[in-house]
Amino acid sequence: MPSTSEPAGDLEREDLRIAWLAALAVTIHVAESALPSPLPGVKPGLANVVTIVTLAWFGWHACAWVSGLRVVAGSLLTGTFLSPTFLLAAAGAGAALLVLWPASRLPGRGFSPLGLSLLAAMGHMAGQFLLAWWLLIPHPALLGLLPPLMTAAVIFGIVSGIIALRIVEQGPPATPS
Amino acid sequence: MITPADRFLLAAAGLLLLLLYALFWQGSGRASRVEIVPGDGSPPLHLSLYHDRTVEVSGPLGESILEIRDGRARFVDSPCPGKLCVQAGWLAESGATTACLPNRVILHLNGGEERFDAINF
Repeated sequence: MPSTSEPAGDLEREDLRIAWLAALAVTIHVAESALPSPLPGVKPGLANVVTIVTLAWFGWHACAWVSGLRVVAGSLLTGTFLSPTFLLAAAGAGAALLVLWPASRLPGRGFSPLGLSLLAAMGHMAGQFLLAWWLLIPHPALLGLLPPLMTAAVIFGIVSGIIALRIVEQGPPATPS
Repeated sequence: MITPADRFLLAAAGLLLLLLYALFWQGSGRASRVEIVPGDGSPPLHLSLYHDRTVEVSGPLGESILEIRDGRARFVDSPCPGKLCVQAGWLAESGATTACLPNRVILHLNGGEERFDAINF
């Protein structure tokens, strides 16, 4: 967690850090968009690892920046900016951040990166699905897709959670830049 | 590093998945109408499932009795030897079909989620 009483010089370093992490997330995001998907909406979401590690090391604020930058820059690179794909990704990322905000502020030991990752994955899928339901395809048959989609979200959330847990356990880099 | 909250979340996620499958993978939704094809060659009956009633239709073997109640439909009795149609019990899902083949009576549920009469391109 970043302390609020950081010296002014650290602000630039914080920006730089966010840029690095966002670049990493965008790279993973773009690489993943080349993977074939069995179902629309199903992808490993390994960029989630970057989001969760950022949350664990640098707090929710940095995490929100990295996540937002990933969605915008990632969609610009894959050519889906402002398309339905982009809207779905934005809704998913927004919902995930919304879930992570209280989840990362629990008293006591709270959630480990594994739990946070699972929550983020499920929140992402829920946000995406709700938008698809309200805006794109308001048809009851869409609900039939929810169980397999959520299953995929849970599986991939746990997988990227385990990866995030391993990374976070090694501790943050001493001087990021 | 895995905390009690994580374990609770994992269990909750598992339960949620079970619930989702139970909720949304139970057929294709409730039907709203029923089509009954009599066995004597007369035109099929199209009835609402929301209107409780008992229907008797005739076929080669005699009268088949069908019942519509609470948005469901079933064969009550039929003059067939096997009574497979009666064994099929209540039908409620859109698209569900059962028939009394010896008496040539067909019961078919439809409607519910059909939002358009026709689509043209």
